[in-house]
Amino acid sequence: MAEKPIQGEKRVFMTGNEVVAWAALAAKAEIMYGYPITPQNEIMHYWTRLAPKFGKRFLQTEDELSAGFTTLGGVLAGRKAFTATAGPGNTLMQEPMSMAEMMRIPSVVIIQQRGGPSTATVIYSQQEVTMTTYGGNGEGLRVVYSTANHQELFDYTIKAFNTAWKYRFPTFVLGDGYQAKMRESLTIYDPEEKGLEFVPTETFLGKAPVNGVKQPVHLRNTYNTEEELYEVITRYMEEYLKVAPEIIEHREFSCEDADIVVVSHGVVSRAAKVAVQELREEGLKIGYFRPVTLRPFPAEELKKVAARAKTLLLVESAFGQMAKLVKDAIFGSTVALENLFKPGVGITSEEIVVRVKEIEKGALAK
Amino acid sequence: MTMIPQMPKSWRLESKPHKFCPGCGHGLVLKALGEAIDELGIQDKVVFGADIGCSLLAWDFFNVDTVQTHHGRTTPVVTGVKRANPDVICIAYMGDGGGYAIGSQHLVNAAARNERITAILVNNCNYAMTGGQMAPTTLPGMKTETTPYGRDVRESGYPTQGPEMVAAITREGSYVARGTVANLKQLKGFLKKALQNQMDGNGFSFVEALSTCPTNWRTNAKDTWAFVEKEMTKFFNVGELKNPAAKEGE
Amino acid sequence: MFGVVPVSERIVEAYIGEYASGKSEIAVNRAVDLKKEGRCVTLVDLDLVEPFYTLRPIKRQLTETGIYVVAWETSETMGLGEAGSLIKPEMRWVLRRPGDIILDIGYGVEGAKVLNLIEGAADNKNLQVFVVLNIGRPMTDNVKDIVEYVKELGIVHGLINNSHLGDDTSVDFVQQGAKVITEAALVLGLPVIATYIDRKFEFEINSKIDIKGNPIRLLDRYMTNTFW
Repeated sequence: MAEKPIQGEKRVFMTGNEVVAWAALAAKAEIMYGYPITPQNEIMHYWTRLAPKFGKRFLQTEDELSAGFTTLGGVLAGRKAFTATAGPGNTLMQEPMSMAEMMRIPSVVIIQQRGGPSTATVIYSQQEVTMTTYGGNGEGLRVVYSTANHQELFDYTIKAFNTAWKYRFPTFVLGDGYQAKMRESLTIYDPEEKGLEFVPTETFLGKAPVNGVKQPVHLRNTYNTEEELYEVITRYMEEYLKVAPEIIEHREFSCEDADIVVVSHGVVSRAAKVAVQELREEGLKIGYFRPVTLRPFPAEELKKVAARAKTLLLVESAFGQMAKLVKDAIFGSTVALENLFKPGVGITSEEIVVRVKEIEKGALAK
Repeated sequence: MTMIPQMPKSWRLESKPHKFCPGCGHGLVLKALGEAIDELGIQDKVVFGADIGCSLLAWDFFNVDTVQTHHGRTTPVVTGVKRANPDVICIAYMGDGGGYAIGSQHLVNAAARNERITAILVNNCNYAMTGGQMAPTTLPGMKTETTPYGRDVRESGYPTQGPEMVAAITREGSYVARGTVANLKQLKGFLKKALQNQMDGNGFSFVEALSTCPTNWRTNAKDTWAFVEKEMTKFFNVGELKNPAAKEGE
Repeated sequence: MFGVVPVSERIVEAYIGEYASGKSEIAVNRAVDLKKEGRCVTLVDLDLVEPFYTLRPIKRQLTETGIYVVAWETSETMGLGEAGSLIKPEMRWVLRRPGDIILDIGYGVEGAKVLNLIEGAADNKNLQVFVVLNIGRPMTDNVKDIVEYVKELGIVHGLINNSHLGDDTSVDFVQQGAKVITEAALVLGLPVIATYIDRKFEFEINSKIDIKGNPIRLLDRYMTNTFW
């Protein structure tokens, strides 16, 4: 058996899918369950190449329903288990993840968004935001990190395991086909050497008897009456809302005096960053706001920005899925909302610059 | 002198040459199917459902009403069509992943309910379209992208025996066979009987076709055929498992 | 046969390597360099497992330089939905084409076996298989792992140092790659064909050979334009 997967830290050059496989190793994940679907296949390809070298396991299941439920089984057995999927596979993944929400089973799912609805394209989109944040027949009791580059894919995949086990909500790392296939450099490292402590896993099923006495557990996700369910969900929601501020992350710059703030997430925020920097150099009062956690959403943070700005420009590779989260977050604000929606298509900084200037012009004309 | 290759009448010329890889068995299965459709004279009555994976490339293959569905869901889609309009002849066309993995519950239940549809499953031992991962039919020891050290039967079992399973869970009226692209005449015969069985209203019809995937097997022409004829047949017996039209006692 | 490089002098090279090792970039650069020498060049995209970073989007640009490119066109790929992991008949028969042939071979568990898909590859005397290596990739970042990796690939004629870290590349890093890869080549009994370095470092490195004496070839970036 080889030593630790990563010793110290090193600068490397990889695709996003490989980054996820390495990050899961670094996070001491023990088993992956998965099913082929583009564009996440190489997570499995690299996990299956690497896992046996470090005594870790893999199961290729018959579909994503099974990949999700076997992941839950692995977690219940006390293992750090995870899965990865995309598009129609994410649709199927919502059933097991709603069980995870109801039973508070920590689980980690990596999503590489592709075009939708249906089989659509295998390429790219940001159209899995609504499903990943609020999928399943429930209240969205989950955490969703939307990453923008390979370093973040590495950092947040590691973080996702701790978030899931600490708060016991299913945790998603929301990437996309571009991030999955893009290649760029990043620093990979052993998190423990950096002082990060892993939240220990817990065995829920199959625990050994203590002093010769077995204490069987009985877990369920079914409730008899409306009142009983109401009591449980109310308690879960209270817990969720209580820990949300600890979980919420966002990035912003140049918002203090901005007239227009560009709001975007994930890979699109890279274009937004460049656009905002360029426009600032031209002397325009433009700001940048990016939710990293889409669920829970940085509502208070965005509200503050919205209170100062005249316009929020909502930019995403979907037809208003992030926009819905934004509108919900800033309800009551009188800030004007503009958008640049391109479902299933990438967005360049040039397009954002053009759109901002259009809005500027319109504002002046008034 | 130019030779024009003989194409079945039911083929759609505008989509030819087709997009399957050189040496792929799909074209052969679809040729046998096209001829079967021609000989039975049912072109105008067929509703063809194509699954995800390489089988989706058949979405514009025939001049028949066609619907491309989701991965594994072709069986229930055409079941829905057949239940709503028993006069059409429904074909569900899928790969081994679609039929034996993600869509296996649909295959099992359509068979158990004896749906009057014809399911055709192309077995090439891997998920080809996604880049060559392990399929339920991957042979022991075979290297794929998710079994980089070879399929370990202790980890992932033996190749799925599809027709044997369908034969075991269906009762009278079902037709079950396994053909191979290495014997097209026989395969066409099986497909014809499978369609006739539906037309006669007998019950569920299922044909698995052993097929080739040189692209993901990384084999030249000679090794490709050797794999189908020698390796695959070690695990998959070719022949009819159930035929209601056969005489009693057979 | 006027205007055609005689078969005995033709260059037939297959570039193979790890996922994201830079095979396609090297293959494109090699094809362009040969074309600049006035040769007849065919470039073939045989990347089967990784159809994303294909030559498809830059096919026209390359064709305009006079290179014959065998790759799928985006317009041809409707229905290749899931991944487009398919080869076209023209690829299978490509060795029948006259002149130089540069093959961009994808990664995969079966390594150089992809060449089985090309008619005549097995007994082509001109065929040279080169492994593209980048020590910036964790599975090929040291001598031991490189040796193990190359041994698994099947027939190989030489190694190529393509060590880089994308935008964070330094000349030092490329030279470090030259050291590691040359040492691995020694263990394997194979030559190092070249060290590739981004053209922007031309004046910084200011040499025709790398630190281990391997020839340096300057690399232009084409693949950054090839997302899908």
